[in-house]
Amino acid sequence: MATEAAAAIPGEIRAGKREMTQARAVRRFKWSVLSVFIALMVGVLGPVLFLQLYFSFHDFSIYLGSWWDAEFAGLEIFEEVVTDPRLGIAIVRSVLFAAGSTLGCFVIGFGLALLMYRPFRGQALFYIVFILPMLTVPIVIAYTGEMLLYQKGPLNDVLSWISGQDVNVIWLANARMALTTVMLLEIWNWVPFSFIIMIAGLASLPKEPQEAAQILGASKWRIFLEIQLPLLRPVIILAIILRFLEAMAEFPKAWSLFQGGPGSATETIPIYLYITTWQYFEVSKGAAMSYVVMMIMIAIVLAAIYFLRREKRALDEMYGAADEDRAG
Amino acid sequence: MAMSRARKKTVFEVGRYTILVIWLLIVAFPMFWVISTSFKPDHEWFAWPPVYWSQEPTLNNYLNVWTDYSEYEDTQYIKSLQKPWIALRNSLIISLTSTFLAVGFGAILAYGVSRYRILSETRMFQLLMLRMVPPIVVVAPLSLYYSTLGLLDTVIGLVIVYFLTTLPYAVWMTKSFIDEVPREVEQAAMILGASRWRTIWEVVLPLVRSGLVATFLFILILTWSEYLLALILSKTEVVTLPVELSKYEGSTEGRVYGRQAALAVGVTIPLVIIGVFIRKHLARGFSFGMVRR
Repeated sequence: MATEAAAAIPGEIRAGKREMTQARAVRRFKWSVLSVFIALMVGVLGPVLFLQLYFSFHDFSIYLGSWWDAEFAGLEIFEEVVTDPRLGIAIVRSVLFAAGSTLGCFVIGFGLALLMYRPFRGQALFYIVFILPMLTVPIVIAYTGEMLLYQKGPLNDVLSWISGQDVNVIWLANARMALTTVMLLEIWNWVPFSFIIMIAGLASLPKEPQEAAQILGASKWRIFLEIQLPLLRPVIILAIILRFLEAMAEFPKAWSLFQGGPGSATETIPIYLYITTWQYFEVSKGAAMSYVVMMIMIAIVLAAIYFLRREKRALDEMYGAADEDRAG
Repeated sequence: MAMSRARKKTVFEVGRYTILVIWLLIVAFPMFWVISTSFKPDHEWFAWPPVYWSQEPTLNNYLNVWTDYSEYEDTQYIKSLQKPWIALRNSLIISLTSTFLAVGFGAILAYGVSRYRILSETRMFQLLMLRMVPPIVVVAPLSLYYSTLGLLDTVIGLVIVYFLTTLPYAVWMTKSFIDEVPREVEQAAMILGASRWRTIWEVVLPLVRSGLVATFLFILILTWSEYLLALILSKTEVVTLPVELSKYEGSTEGRVYGRQAALAVGVTIPLVIIGVFIRKHLARGFSFGMVRR
């Protein structure tokens, strides 16, 4: 019946009306989806951020009874946190750890991707084995690391056998080695991440510019430097940024192997936050500290998002013409 | 002396396989060690020189972890453990539920973004902050908030946080699959008289089904292996497998490597199967539409 009524209306008006109902339907759809999401965010993140702010300004530890009776402390807690040298050192340590492991993952992952992105015999087998570490639960990697790395353990034995000398690296008990040990485990764990992104990036590069350069007699090295590398820039930036952010948040391996020790050699930001809140039970200090860390991380993430967007826009422009062809 | 083309190629091939095999060994050795340890009796766990192939392989570790059988029934660490089956059940319930919700809701959102731009690109990138800002910075007040609500140590509590932290990946990944379905297909179905919901249900959904499965499995990997949130937000009732695994340390008997290894193998195998199954889609999960085909 509705269609009969609609058919009686002259064409133009009908089209206009349909567009209007369509727009209204889209709006209704949009808000019914978004309201669920917004409700969840307000219901979970809202109180959490409020509590965090509350504890940052009220002196509270679990020994002090109810949290709503905590005493107002003004900026004291923040002052304590900002002047805490341990936090400063933890931040530096985290950045070093994240930078080192990101670099390691990227160099190895990109290298392997370069060797493997063209079809060759055994490609599928190598690919499957190489992604396995990424599929292993990080906590399993931590305990595997411990089984391998104790001083009179299999890794030192294998290294001795390969080098022909007595290798005796103190992987776990030496304060100067510990952070490097975590870093090596992190690299082992996440090389596959850089590897799969880079190999997908390499495989998706347009062939024409490379073929053209080849015909013009360019060497492989120059094709790589002047054609492949610039085209890969967005993917490279993506692989580095994501890995860096995840490494800044690394917790399971550092925690289950070292709990911040020996001394405080592996005390990165997440570890120090965890120790403050769940071992010293200094809830207020932990809250103020996580506020500081959160602001730093948000700044880093915003910068990261800015770079990702810039690269994505450049890519969209490059592929825009092709997409428009497809869209007709 | 200039090398001939063929000679050069051979040198390259040899070099390539050498490097790849070296990395293969580096990847495989720790895995070999866990598997091998899981079959060792306890005197071989710390032996020097290290035991690579067990002289007396045994299934005791597996039996001990996964069944009621226990040769150390009276020792402290066995008593302090939950049986892993409970942890396995918790892990399954929590990760399947949160992943299902995240992918379902993410796909609806992604459809809206792909077809009607209900979120601008700026908002889509802002969504990523949910994932990129490490959860440790809010988890302390979150645990207090949860304990006020009675959500601490419950399945629902963990499902909510996993849902929120994996939603960005779910939206971005499903969107990349939905973007690939040409609008013309939908338009054609609607011109033929299908309603909007029927179009989505019978035309779009079958076309993105494999993509949704890939997204589901990808996010399942993330929630299955999550440790920090599970450690803090669950204490005794809803312990998940990664947290259960970490309980095998620090008892008076020292580490129990064999049992830890047996449990680790069990925890990891599902992920390896899933990951190998969706290996072609893994890159897409992380690439936010930046790797084109």
